[in-house]
Amino acid sequence: MNDTHIVSSFDRDLESVQAHIMKMGGLVEEAILQASQALRERDEELSEKVRKADKAIDALEEIINEEASRIIALRAPTAVDLRVILSVMKIASNLERIGDYAKNMAKRNAVLVHMTPVEGARTALGRMAREVQIMLKDALDAYIQRDVELAQEILERDQEIDQMYNALFREFLTFMMEDPRYITPCMHLHFIAKNTERMGDHVTAIAEQVIYLVTGTMPDEARPKSDMTTRDPELSEPK
Amino acid sequence: MYDAPTNLETAVTQNDIKISADNVQVHYGDTHAIKDVSVEIEDKTVTAFIGPSGCGKSTFLRTLNRMNDTIDICRVTGNILLDGEDIYDPKVDPVQLRAKVGMVFQKPNPFPKSIYDNIAYGPRIHGLANSKADLDVIVEKSLRRGAIWNEVKDRLHAPGTGLSGGQQQRLCIARAVATEPEVLLMDEPCSALDPIATAQVEELIDELRKSYSVVIVTHSMQQAARVSQKTAFFHLGNLVEYDDTSKIFTNPKDERTESYITGRIG
Repeated sequence: MNDTHIVSSFDRDLESVQAHIMKMGGLVEEAILQASQALRERDEELSEKVRKADKAIDALEEIINEEASRIIALRAPTAVDLRVILSVMKIASNLERIGDYAKNMAKRNAVLVHMTPVEGARTALGRMAREVQIMLKDALDAYIQRDVELAQEILERDQEIDQMYNALFREFLTFMMEDPRYITPCMHLHFIAKNTERMGDHVTAIAEQVIYLVTGTMPDEARPKSDMTTRDPELSEPK
Repeated sequence: MYDAPTNLETAVTQNDIKISADNVQVHYGDTHAIKDVSVEIEDKTVTAFIGPSGCGKSTFLRTLNRMNDTIDICRVTGNILLDGEDIYDPKVDPVQLRAKVGMVFQKPNPFPKSIYDNIAYGPRIHGLANSKADLDVIVEKSLRRGAIWNEVKDRLHAPGTGLSGGQQQRLCIARAVATEPEVLLMDEPCSALDPIATAQVEELIDELRKSYSVVIVTHSMQQAARVSQKTAFFHLGNLVEYDDTSKIFTNPKDERTESYITGRIG
């Protein structure tokens, strides 16, 4: 199929809204990286920066929604054009949620820096956040390249995030059992871990949108899930 | 897994086959206008034919009630069955056929007669009314079906040509349904109408679907999307793709269909 519309301004509209998605994606990646760096280095100032930067992410989501509704009203998109619009709206909302989780990580860090450091956990959280950020980068690449194979691979990779979360869940439990002074920081850290795990789910949803955009159908199989903390009572026992 | 309810207006239920075309070829002299088209048109369904100008969609529509017979150099081969009967059988009277397979054209073309006589003409020549009272009933029923009764009931003996464009077109639809057809062919019925009249005709088409099989040729893809349940895409005399309208407009199989409906250079 030819890539360009007879009405070239339609192409420009579609390019613009997709460029905004990429920009938003870049800001969200940065938010994840900086929030986890702030956590690792107990950097209150950087946390504050992440919190403020979230406004730009929210503003972009609004721009994307406005552009999308204008394209629907004025261009009556069909087939692949329609799928582009539907997918950018969903991806924008996924990115906005990921941005919120990063902001929440930064907020909790502002509290955590005033508490006893919980050694070890912060490194593991950093690895998890890093992994999610790479997944997000790949999901956005898959979107731009219309790469179904890469998107499919991301769906699989979410399992690793879930497993990291399971391990952290048990670790926090152990810390809290050992020393009640760890309870408050570990509660915060656990929320961070859970939120990072949720980020992975939103990245997965973006990858699913890539598959929908290219093939016209959502991936049918229930995707692999490995968050066992809600299924296996054994996991809720300290090591 | 949870199954979503399928009570959308656009949901397609399998209906009986009304018209079955098989390997239809149309030649105008040396021009091969329709190339081996096979399609099954369902009863109580609106089927839209779309495609760029000259793709053969109107030509194919006209084969369905033998309107092409009037063109000397036109040659139609293949089979077209209406309820299983070959409409090109020599025993079939084209005039009788066209009473069963009515047609509405692009430009409203009321007879230069009164509104009443526009409707009464068909039933009279086909002997559908035994008395003036019978005829009055048919005229009222047809005008109601054409969604124009309320606008013309007080001036039935005024000339049909004095109505507005949109009213004239609804009058022509009322005229087409007066002979109790089974199939209604519409060749771009709204292209000469404003958006309000277009909406009224589209509402009427949806109403007519309860009783007839409606086939509509349209240049407006949005119209095809709005009124039809099945869509056929024609390109260079070929039937490229024929499927549920919702499928054609969200996820067509053929690249040529996708290029056309999304407004890309095919």
